[in-house]
Amino acid sequence: MRIATLGVRNVLRSRFRSVMTVLGVAVAILAFVMLRTVLSAWTMAAEFAAKDRVVTRHKVSFIMALPGKYLEEVRQIEGVKSAAASNWFGGKDPKHPNEFFGSMAVEPRSFLNVYDEIEVPAEHRDDWFQNRTGAIVGDSIAKKMGWKVGDKVTLQGTIFSGDWQFQISGIYTTTRKSMDRTSFFFHYDYLNEWVKKNMPIGADSIGWVTTRIERGKSPAEMAKVIDQRFDDRDIQTMSQDERAFQTSFLGMISAVLRALDVVSVVILLIMMLILGNTIAMGVRERTHEYGVLRAIGFLPKHLMLFVFGEAAAIGVLGGALGLLLSYPLVEGGMGRFLEENMGAFFPYFQISSTTSALAILLAVLLGLLAAALPAYQASKLDVVGSLRSL
Amino acid sequence: MAEASEAMTDNGKASSEGGSGLTEDRIESGKRAVSSEILVEIKQLNKTYYRGSETVEVLKDLDLNIPKGSFEALMGPSGSGKSTLLNLIAGLDSPTSGTLQVAGADLNKMSEGARAKWRSQNVGFVFQTFNLMPVLTALENVMLPLLLTNLSASERKERAHTALKVVGLEDRVKHYPRELSGGQEQRVTIARAIVTDPRIIVADEPTGDLDRKSAEEILNLLRKLNQEFEKTIIMVTHDPAAADCARVIHHLDKGRLVS
Repeated sequence: MRIATLGVRNVLRSRFRSVMTVLGVAVAILAFVMLRTVLSAWTMAAEFAAKDRVVTRHKVSFIMALPGKYLEEVRQIEGVKSAAASNWFGGKDPKHPNEFFGSMAVEPRSFLNVYDEIEVPAEHRDDWFQNRTGAIVGDSIAKKMGWKVGDKVTLQGTIFSGDWQFQISGIYTTTRKSMDRTSFFFHYDYLNEWVKKNMPIGADSIGWVTTRIERGKSPAEMAKVIDQRFDDRDIQTMSQDERAFQTSFLGMISAVLRALDVVSVVILLIMMLILGNTIAMGVRERTHEYGVLRAIGFLPKHLMLFVFGEAAAIGVLGGALGLLLSYPLVEGGMGRFLEENMGAFFPYFQISSTTSALAILLAVLLGLLAAALPAYQASKLDVVGSLRSL
Repeated sequence: MAEASEAMTDNGKASSEGGSGLTEDRIESGKRAVSSEILVEIKQLNKTYYRGSETVEVLKDLDLNIPKGSFEALMGPSGSGKSTLLNLIAGLDSPTSGTLQVAGADLNKMSEGARAKWRSQNVGFVFQTFNLMPVLTALENVMLPLLLTNLSASERKERAHTALKVVGLEDRVKHYPRELSGGQEQRVTIARAIVTDPRIIVADEPTGDLDRKSAEEILNLLRKLNQEFEKTIIMVTHDPAAADCARVIHHLDKGRLVS
């Protein structure tokens, strides 16, 4: 038996109260882990963005189109390895009208060349290249919609009206965490033919260009060079490296992210107050015992050790329980749901080791902080007065 | 057990200081006379409390000498100052004025930290309400004061076992206080009081919460500690039967010794 043993054993003294406090800490840690993981998953796309890609869009707005010839001009710029154009399609599956997924028209070969983290089995890729109505879909959305290779799929166009017939050529997976696994990619030519016929003014236009730059080139510098190329045109461009591009999206929701950040801290502070109250109650109840301990020679620092030992034990137990629960609940349940349903925002929803370590560390540290005042009060108890209190 | 007995006489102070090491052999040894050496020397002792503007003189110009190996009882009505005197002798409180020398230490000149260390080495406490830690077993409760020594874990355990044997509870080592009777709890308290081999045992109403039979067992145990282990015992009591166990009975009234 050691001095801290008594502090730890005191946790078991009022079992109901201790269990409730440990559960309180566990729930707070669970909420903390959940919010931190939402935050990190939200910013994951930016953090894991490719460092050798530049995205070029209309200078005025992302929703405005660029002339198709810009793609070829970008490819001519020195330092550009390859470039691919994408158009937002905005299709919906009439069988699942409430399910959101990104649908984009791309030129298959150049697209896979620029986004080399997308993996499609060779025979499926070749089929996609050949099949004008072929499409590749992310494994998450395929699983959710029940799509299999070879299936015929009808999407309703929200921008380009009408029913669009597609055939699933392949299901892609990704090797980069930032890449969304819930998107639907099909042939640009298929879209452009329809546009030429039904919206001729928008024919041959493209939504944005993604450029892969040569090794050693600075993405920021290349973005500047690309924009300079179109400076004197009617339609000017705005280019950003992929990370900045992703971050500009996050900028729109920065207030929400900041609020989540604050709430996660507030939750821990509430946890600290609950724990502090429990520890203070314990100290008040044990005033007489502390008097006995002081009488037989224990010093104020020993009493502080007892109190801190109890707080640390509750912090560790609650933190560990909260973390254990967070894997099946946050990562397993909520994470899978978000990846499948909001893959564009949460392409990779996993509890990071930093979040886990931080949760345990904060549970213990805040537990100790919560115990600071009760521990100080215990150390200042008058021995004779404590012995009289019963 | 012989090794354990030796260990119990070596609690950070020379065995010649106390010379009263707890050994099983001593249980069988005969009675001995009280030493002429003065263990507690009190001169012109005053203790005054201040409650706001009110001054309460609890002890007034008190003189008292207690020889080593004595068993003395402090009696008196409530508020007479007997518990205050016991607390002062035990180093729990400091006097307002006067001389207070206990076991060679001038308690009046010691800091709180030094007094705590002195208490852990020289004083064993027996309280009216037992005051065992409910989350610790009997053995662990007895080991508690030894946590403040440099003894190894196995030595602490061995000493605690011996102390429990002395009080006749060797078969209750793993019991928690809630699993013991009042008399047994008080015996564990006594084992805790003697485990460090202190020179003085202070007992504040040790039989106050016990039935007559348990009270007699406790008093016999205290008598045995005094007679066979040469422990100096100072006991506060209201019970004349308990006081009869003492060699000397001091009566206090309104902060003064009256007999």
